[in-house]
Amino acid sequence: MNAGNQIKKTLADLQDFYLLSINSILKLFKRPLYFDDIIEQMEYAGSASVFIVSLVCLFVGMALSLQLSAELSGLGLKMYTGKIVGIAVIREIGPLVTALVFIGRVGAGQTAEIGSMILGHQIDTLRVYGIDPIKKVVIPRVIASVVMLPCLTIIGDLVCLIGGYYIAVFVSNQSGSFYWSSIIEELTFQNVFSGTIKPFIFGYLISCISCFYGLTTRGGAKGLRTSTTKAVVISIITVIATDFILTRILFYALGFNV
Amino acid sequence: MIVFDNVWFSYGDREVLKGISFTANFDERIAVLGESGGGKTTILKLILGLISPDKGKIIIDGVDITQLNEEELIPIRRKFSIVFQEGALFDSLPVKENVAFFMRELLKLPDEEIYRRVRELLRRVGVEDAEELMPEELSGGMHRRVAIARALAVGKTKMFLYDEPTAGLDPINSERIMTLIKDLADKENIGFMIITHVVYVAWQLCNRFIFLKEGQIVFDGNKDELIKSNISAVKDFIKELFFRI
Ligand SMILES: Nc1ncnc2c1ncn2[C@@H]1O[C@H](COP(=O)(O)OP(=O)(O)OP(=O)(O)O)[C@@H](O)[C@H]1O
Ligand SMILES: [Mg+2]
Repeated sequence: MNAGNQIKKTLADLQDFYLLSINSILKLFKRPLYFDDIIEQMEYAGSASVFIVSLVCLFVGMALSLQLSAELSGLGLKMYTGKIVGIAVIREIGPLVTALVFIGRVGAGQTAEIGSMILGHQIDTLRVYGIDPIKKVVIPRVIASVVMLPCLTIIGDLVCLIGGYYIAVFVSNQSGSFYWSSIIEELTFQNVFSGTIKPFIFGYLISCISCFYGLTTRGGAKGLRTSTTKAVVISIITVIATDFILTRILFYALGFNV
Repeated sequence: MIVFDNVWFSYGDREVLKGISFTANFDERIAVLGESGGGKTTILKLILGLISPDKGKIIIDGVDITQLNEEELIPIRRKFSIVFQEGALFDSLPVKENVAFFMRELLKLPDEEIYRRVRELLRRVGVEDAEELMPEELSGGMHRRVAIARALAVGKTKMFLYDEPTAGLDPINSERIMTLIKDLADKENIGFMIITHVVYVAWQLCNRFIFLKEGQIVFDGNKDELIKSNISAVKDFIKELFFRI
């Protein structure tokens, strides 16, 4: 394929992706809505992810706290550990780490599942009987992701902070009550808002990307591998880039001084 | 009636069909033959409006379906009962829910009625014990039967479409599926179109044969014409058939 065709194909794909993303919102307001599928997807995306999100966040929180206590105690500023851990986790690390775990566990799963439904003609079968795959397959996954990623993020934040607490108190011998009180001080509207708006947007983007690559799967097991890999890679890049852009916008909108 | 009028279709740069024309009545028994990747499944998808041609017309019961949207295609698609390659059962649902699926989603029947019909359909295709099993627990032959039961569940069909109904099955199971296909057609005098590359299946079940080669129809005729044909692809077919018999 030459460069011109490659660009044309990329543009066509982008257009399809936008159409899918927009349709997944527009068709939300048209009957029927498949509640059973939404619940099933929520369970898969949400409750089944709690453990792995907690596990990852626990270690991230501990590592973060360990690094900070070590660095800050050298400067004699150990008591700021809680404050910095709190800000970092709530605004940035919690949402980001949870989203990355979500991509690996849920996004990849969505692509693989939809991809194999494409290859096995299951999506065709739905269409033959007049069931819109966007409504039956895509929307439940998008809703599940948009609802569940924020919930997971809150759990992830909390576990991160608990991990940080463990290190601060039991390894670095700081005061536990001071750790928590300095975190609570950081629970301002700005911080909490900027940390909780992100996962809604991440959830939407991740599921749209995952469903898109699932639906465009072609060519057997190898095609499924390609589309799953692409979905994960593109999701990671999109989430991290969006995170930066959102942070920039939120700082501006919420009046943070940089 | 299905009419293909000079239909062209390509996936991206890859031309799959290059000017296909044929006319078929709903009560005919047609085999579409051709090598793997020759565009057989593509023809089936075109009939159902799952994809639309680059050029040409596809007319079903007098309606040109190439310009219709998804909603307008629903009544067209309901004229057919389709069994896709490999069966295409929903693998997250047990057999009985697979068969019940469209009665539940589309016909909105009460549960009791649905399960009564599911049992009857499964009995008709001979897998009444499989109700509670998941698709991955079924053998190839059972899988195909359940798919046929699901295709029957929608009711009033004008024509059956089977994509490789016996692919991957052992001879005994193939034979059983063939008998089932024949019985279903005989009972209500409904025609079918079978896509296959198994010579013997086509010969046993069909009385019209369409050969695809390199995106074009190289032969379209009945058994007599088939035997007399000079076309090399058809000759290979007949050779294989005699070999089998
Ligand atoms: N969704 C798709 N995107 C791109 N190419 C496709 C797609 N589906 C099929 N093709 C290609 O189009 C050609 C025709 O495919 P089709 O499925 O109609 O073949 P077939 O005759 O049914 O083959 P088989 O006997 O293997 O099922 C193949 O070369 C295939 O690789
Ligand atoms: Mg095929």
